Amino acid sequence: MATRTVEVATDVPALAAERAVTWPKRRKAVLSNGLEVILAESHSIPKFHGELFFRSGNAAFTDRAPALAEMTATVVRTGTGKRMSRQIEEDLRRIGADLASGAGADTSALSFAGLSEFAEPLLAMVNELARDAAFPESEFERERRQKQEEVKLQRTEPGFLASERLRKVLFGAHPYSQIAPTEEQVASYRREELRALYHESYTPENALLLLVGDFDPDDMLKSAEKVFSDWKGGRPGAKSFPAPLVPRGRRVYLVHVPGAVQTQILAGCHAITRKHQDWVKLGLTNSLYGGAFNSRLVMNIREDKGYTYSPRSGVTALRQHGYFSVSAAVRNNVVAASLTEIFYEIDKLRALPVPPGELADAQNYLSGIFSMGLATQDGLLSQLSTVALNELPDDYLETYRAKVRALTPEDLLHTARKYLDSANMQIVVVGDRAQIESQAALFGELEVYDAQGKQLE
Amino acid sequence: MNRLHIEIKNTTLANGLKAVIAPDSAAPVVTVGVYYKIGFRLEPRGRSGFAHLFEHMMFQGSANAPKMQHIKLINSSGGMLNGSTSYDVTNYYEAVPSNALERVLWLEADRMRALKVDDENLKNQRDVVKEEVRVNVMNQPYGGFPWLDMPPVAFRNWANAHNFYGDFADLDAADLSDVQAFFKTYYVPNNAVLLILGDVKADEGIALAKKYFEDIPRGPAPQFADPTEPLQTEERRGQVEEKFGTLPAMAIGYVMPERRTADWCAMALLDQALHGGRAGRLYRELVLEKQIAVEADGGIDDLFGYNGPTQMTTRILHKPEYSSEATLAAFDGVVREVQEHGIGTDELEQLKVKWRSDYYATLEGGRGGSMPKYGLMHLLACFALFDNEPQLVNTILDGFLAVKREEIQAVAKKYLRNEKRAIVFRVPVKAGAKEAA
Repeated sequence: MATRTVEVATDVPALAAERAVTWPKRRKAVLSNGLEVILAESHSIPKFHGELFFRSGNAAFTDRAPALAEMTATVVRTGTGKRMSRQIEEDLRRIGADLASGAGADTSALSFAGLSEFAEPLLAMVNELARDAAFPESEFERERRQKQEEVKLQRTEPGFLASERLRKVLFGAHPYSQIAPTEEQVASYRREELRALYHESYTPENALLLLVGDFDPDDMLKSAEKVFSDWKGGRPGAKSFPAPLVPRGRRVYLVHVPGAVQTQILAGCHAITRKHQDWVKLGLTNSLYGGAFNSRLVMNIREDKGYTYSPRSGVTALRQHGYFSVSAAVRNNVVAASLTEIFYEIDKLRALPVPPGELADAQNYLSGIFSMGLATQDGLLSQLSTVALNELPDDYLETYRAKVRALTPEDLLHTARKYLDSANMQIVVVGDRAQIESQAALFGELEVYDAQGKQLE
Repeated sequence: MNRLHIEIKNTTLANGLKAVIAPDSAAPVVTVGVYYKIGFRLEPRGRSGFAHLFEHMMFQGSANAPKMQHIKLINSSGGMLNGSTSYDVTNYYEAVPSNALERVLWLEADRMRALKVDDENLKNQRDVVKEEVRVNVMNQPYGGFPWLDMPPVAFRNWANAHNFYGDFADLDAADLSDVQAFFKTYYVPNNAVLLILGDVKADEGIALAKKYFEDIPRGPAPQFADPTEPLQTEERRGQVEEKFGTLPAMAIGYVMPERRTADWCAMALLDQALHGGRAGRLYRELVLEKQIAVEADGGIDDLFGYNGPTQMTTRILHKPEYSSEATLAAFDGVVREVQEHGIGTDELEQLKVKWRSDYYATLEGGRGGSMPKYGLMHLLACFALFDNEPQLVNTILDGFLAVKREEIQAVAKKYLRNEKRAIVFRVPVKAGAKEAA
């Protein structure tokens, strides 16, 4: 952008008057067994989407083994007291349903979607998986072997290697530093560990059931009460971990992939969680920096310089901590040039107020995109789960746009200075050492690792 | 059964541009698409990858909206935009708050009327496209497998067999005269369809289509190369090196019947029987029961959107301790089972319910979870361009729900034949892989 004059469009039609954005009413209830339920109607198609969350994810069990909650969720769908694996899959197909089980850092979840006409059998399946998973020995053995191949494969993906290293660097001894197990760690998972985790965390008091779709909320709530209410179980004790040490000074971590024909850059620093009062400000700052197609970073290193196809920045909000990061997969010979521009654009946001026109554009972008969640069932579900899991205020959806639009250039300047922590960004580059080491070393003290995580000389 | 019905109004403007409106005021959001009937299959010879490179050029500036303005005007209206190139169509689409509808139509009309790009734009996007190919194909484990590996093995006609992302030498050879010639030939209103879906009234949508697009001059009807394949009479095999991944992989593709025939409907359900997730026969047999494979998936790529030779393709990553031939034998066992015994009554009923459910999800469907009505847009566009009948979106389901057991067994015998298939082995160069086919 610095090198060319930006021309403006002529005769562009003005925007018409905005139609009000009306979020559907959320119906909240607590079933007799303590299960919290949130429902919302969305009649776009004769289906519904749901998610049964448990407020315990991989982080809560890292002291036992990394990604144990994920492995548990994987095996949950392979058998119950009533149904064998094959029966489960066929019964889901019989009612036109999709179901996935998984775990992230902070939650485990059963996610599902199906035809409204079969709502009750689908809820019954979810209930059965949530309380009566049998962890058959042979299924466990197979899934464990599958997982070993999966984690081996991950180590050949540049994006994974970059994320893994950045999380280690940012979170050190904190459980958030582990995003995946090693092959050996998977090999030592034991079925009893999975069962124990399941019985501790898959309980109604630890759960949140979200349902969005083409249904009458009264009827759906009755079905939920009928299906789930005799399931019992308390909330497990909360676990807390010492805050990670925030790394000071820029350092560079090179993950060596021999023969890589491109370099994956990922740089990041600690930021905030979604509950933090500065969240909306940081969201807007990120959107201006590299969170949108029209952002400064994309215009610079893609549309002006052609270094990369896919530059992007974002804020990852985990429950206890959040971090800001910027990524781009670039040609090997422009690694230093790309990092220079990445920092130039950060430092510019930290130094100069954003021009009012650009601010207004970004405000419109963010508030418009936010409302797209209204148009699809899973979009709406995702908005509702963000609010509920992060314990945001009930009127979060209704007030978000006004909050975005109230921000000033000074707010953004302060936010960039506070959270786009240029001087303390940790830089990961994944690529062929011979081609990029000297470029990477220009940006800080360098450590080199192989794809298995072993530090190299 | 609660059937979904989509309200549709469609017309053809005086310049030949088709327009399809699907009003739905549930959310204050409107999705706009423009589809051109040209994809990478029929791009010019010696210019592999050009249709896709050209798609990038459509974001580089038009008569009244110079470079970067297109993106800026959509984003700053609160919307998102993108484009994509596939076998037989190229699309451009936006989802915006409905108060930005006229602005979006103005932008799409401006670039349909006149592209205004220079050498610097072309050089820039050539660089961007090369990084796209690197990030998606050359620097990824199993990148391009099998969608780029299969065509040169399976097909003999250059149209179907070439590198769709483009050889870098061909991308380098492309110049501005190619860009303008391609634009003039294929990007004419009479080779396109405009779609407006969501928060707009039907009559208003038609009126706006006319207001912004009708004065764009019609062009000569494009002449398309013939994509017909010579008759395949024996199995074809090929091999590609896998640079990063450690698991041996293979893809098996069978030539599909023409779209919208009775066989096509039966093949779609057979596809679901074989590839329908964890309940599908291939995953169940190869991954869950025999435990030979780590991944077994695939199917028909874009069932409604192909307009030339295509395949139903299975993609398998298997454990290194099983040979390729042993893995293939297990795959063949699954195919033979359907050919000899067909599928069960109960299984067929399950398949149909799931098919209907998936179809609804497609229509609502986001792209990357955030693009409302992308699937509806795509189906309406394909039905308009290939069938001149967008209303099919409301009736096409009937053909699939009427398929009989015998028909599934019949198409399994007719199409899943060794002499009608091609196999690509993706062979790891790293330790862990014992043998190549």
